[in-house]
Amino acid sequence: MNTGQIISGAGHAGLIFWALFGGAFRDVPPPNEVTEVTAISADDFAALMAPEQSPEAVANVDTPEPPEAGEAPGMTSETDAVPETAQPEVTESSEPDTPPEVTEPDPPAQAEVSEEPPVMQPPQEDTAALVPDRSPDVRPREAPRVAPEPVAQPEPDVQIDDVDQQETAPDESAEPVEEDQEETARQEATTEIVTEADDPADAAPSRSLRPRPRPTRQAEAEPEPETQPQDDPQPAAQEPEQTETAAPQSPEVDENAVENALAEALGGSDTQPDSTPSGPPLTTGEKEGLRVAVQQCWNVGSLSSEALATTVVVGVSMSEDGRPITASIKMLGSSGGSNPAAQQAFEAARRAIIRCGADGYKLPPEKYDQWRDIEMTFNPEKMRIK
Amino acid sequence: MMRYVLSLLAALFMLAAPALAQDTAESDGPLRIEITEGVIEPLPYAVPSFVADTAAASEWADKISRVVASDLNGTGLFREIPAEAHIARISNFSSPVQFSDWKAINAQALITGAVRTEGSGRIVVSFRLYDVFAGQEMGQGLQLVGTEQGWRRIAHKVADQVYSRLTGEDPYFDSRVVFVSEDGPKDARQKRLAIMDYDGANVTYLTDNSSLVLAPRFSPQGDQVLYTSYESGFPRIYVLNVETVGRRVLESQDGTMSFAPRFAPDGQTVVYSLTRGGNTDLYSMQIGSSQSTRLTNAPSIETAPSFSPDGSRMVFESDRSGTPQLYIMPAGGGEAQRISFGQGRYGTPVWSPRGDLIAFTKQSKGRFHIGVMRTDGSEERLLTASFLDEGPTWAPNGRVIMFSRETQGAQGSTSLYSVDITGRNLKQVPTPSGASDPSWSPLQK
Repeated sequence: MNTGQIISGAGHAGLIFWALFGGAFRDVPPPNEVTEVTAISADDFAALMAPEQSPEAVANVDTPEPPEAGEAPGMTSETDAVPETAQPEVTESSEPDTPPEVTEPDPPAQAEVSEEPPVMQPPQEDTAALVPDRSPDVRPREAPRVAPEPVAQPEPDVQIDDVDQQETAPDESAEPVEEDQEETARQEATTEIVTEADDPADAAPSRSLRPRPRPTRQAEAEPEPETQPQDDPQPAAQEPEQTETAAPQSPEVDENAVENALAEALGGSDTQPDSTPSGPPLTTGEKEGLRVAVQQCWNVGSLSSEALATTVVVGVSMSEDGRPITASIKMLGSSGGSNPAAQQAFEAARRAIIRCGADGYKLPPEKYDQWRDIEMTFNPEKMRIK
Repeated sequence: MMRYVLSLLAALFMLAAPALAQDTAESDGPLRIEITEGVIEPLPYAVPSFVADTAAASEWADKISRVVASDLNGTGLFREIPAEAHIARISNFSSPVQFSDWKAINAQALITGAVRTEGSGRIVVSFRLYDVFAGQEMGQGLQLVGTEQGWRRIAHKVADQVYSRLTGEDPYFDSRVVFVSEDGPKDARQKRLAIMDYDGANVTYLTDNSSLVLAPRFSPQGDQVLYTSYESGFPRIYVLNVETVGRRVLESQDGTMSFAPRFAPDGQTVVYSLTRGGNTDLYSMQIGSSQSTRLTNAPSIETAPSFSPDGSRMVFESDRSGTPQLYIMPAGGGEAQRISFGQGRYGTPVWSPRGDLIAFTKQSKGRFHIGVMRTDGSEERLLTASFLDEGPTWAPNGRVIMFSRETQGAQGSTSLYSVDITGRNLKQVPTPSGASDPSWSPLQK
């Protein structure tokens, strides 16, 4: 044990000793109530407790003097004038008030009383009834002494060992290692004969992938530093040419080249464009520019009210100069209207795409893979007649 | 503490996961954008003069193409590009169209046609409609045959086809309107029944002006007209055959007044108002048997009935609540339900041929309005406002409403107006004299 451990142990021991005997864990007594008091003298206390004395009687009282006799005011024999009071005008044409019409209330209809007492119907099950606020049985319910659900066991304590080891557990994400097992099956017969022609087409790919572009010559010519000898650069420089010249010698590659050439010469190809475009995606601004450009030509003024309630999805392929390929414009789907209405809506959408794309949409050429194929959804909800 | 931090991080990841997944989904597949706001403006189109196959047909070719353009322009949904702006000329109806020439002038639709005459005064009209920017024909070409006297109907038929193919709406150009023609000052006005094309052409008078006539109403087949006449000194309901102009009185009970008649959709039943003993109620009558049935029995005034297109219900006007309001009840009578609750007085309700709206006249704050509302009274919209607008009638397709408007003052005159149910394209219908109480016919066969 080094000095540090000794000092640490002593310090910890002192801390534990202070915590146990120094009152660190004692309950803090509640604070005493403090009341403000004032100390007074005995005289003051006696004065406070003495009965209240009556004030001293006044000996001298000033008596009021009578006023001097003067001339009495003269009396007049005239009587005061009677104030004029407005007399209500009596009109002869006043008619006595008409007595209010008294309508005798109709006597209440005599209730029909039957001889037989009413039969009480038992309440139905769904009849609601008032529930008393308190149960008549006021005894407390007996609570189970044992909890109905077992309490989860606490985690096991760490076993004491000389060496510290971290807990290990099997990795659930790891794939279980299975032993090699040959395929076996019970002998059975099928319930129906399914020929190849009857197989569902979903099993087959719906479209073939586009062949990957040929790597650039520079990439092929670039030698790998680890495999190429350093002291003999001549073969490395000739290797691309050899590869390029040797490739047609391969019968497989030669056959593909002939097929590709034939396909190009016939103006069509079995291969479809890759469904996942490469390169950076269009920015929001570029998409917004295309949308604004198309909607400027989307004229719905001549559409029927049913066509105005129809949303159509139109697919279009674009040429590299940003012009739509007219023959490629087709309706991919519609919703909200009949087929004739969808056709009307599609024709309006097609006119919009062609008209505003006559000079080419302003799309970034370097991202052509991103906008080679476009799906435009024409939703006339905001243009609809309300 | 560590568990708390881990739980917090897990919660944040759960919240961010949908956004991350959405971004990932958006980056896959084609670019997707949603367009929710467009423009509402007339569709520009071109209709070069139809090609005349013969010299005699040149007169009809130009007239028919002009009527087609007038019909389309009158809807307010289309804008004709004048012939002076055309780059290309259509000299052969069967030649392929050079769409680039029409794209250059921004013509989104192109109508081409040809006219030829046959013997016995018959003319044959062929036409095609093109979507210029799509570079393809819309629908198939159509050929119509008619008499020279009926050249306007042929033109209306062509315009109907174009209108339906471009808008998806049912057509209405080949229809007629019966109305009350008015002459003279207000205090001595003479009225008579007249019938005309929907655009004011071909006016024909059905009655003379010896007695007051009111409120003509077309039958569902368009061959008969109900109207009210004071010929006997009291208002009486008459039914008139449009072709023969023959007429007969329909309701003639002594001591009564009958007015506001309207056909049921079956064309065999007439519902009308009858005043007896100072009380006005609704009655229905079988035209064949002249047997009438009382539909309402209230001390208030019930009038202006109009059937729903399926004939199961009717809307009418009643002042049973104190002011004239609109009510709906079963066609055979029964409990009526009030549908108008706005401020003002409501009257002359007419059920739309589509069945979704009810047009009405509303008087509020000293002005008259033509408006529409749903059949439950919701979504009331006022389309017009003037000194006096009244008596709406629906076009056969339920897209346009015609009504009569009277100007203020002793010299005020009445005339017919039409308006789209959107409230746009309010315009006057030309008539040779004053006109009121229009009733739109169904589409002619």
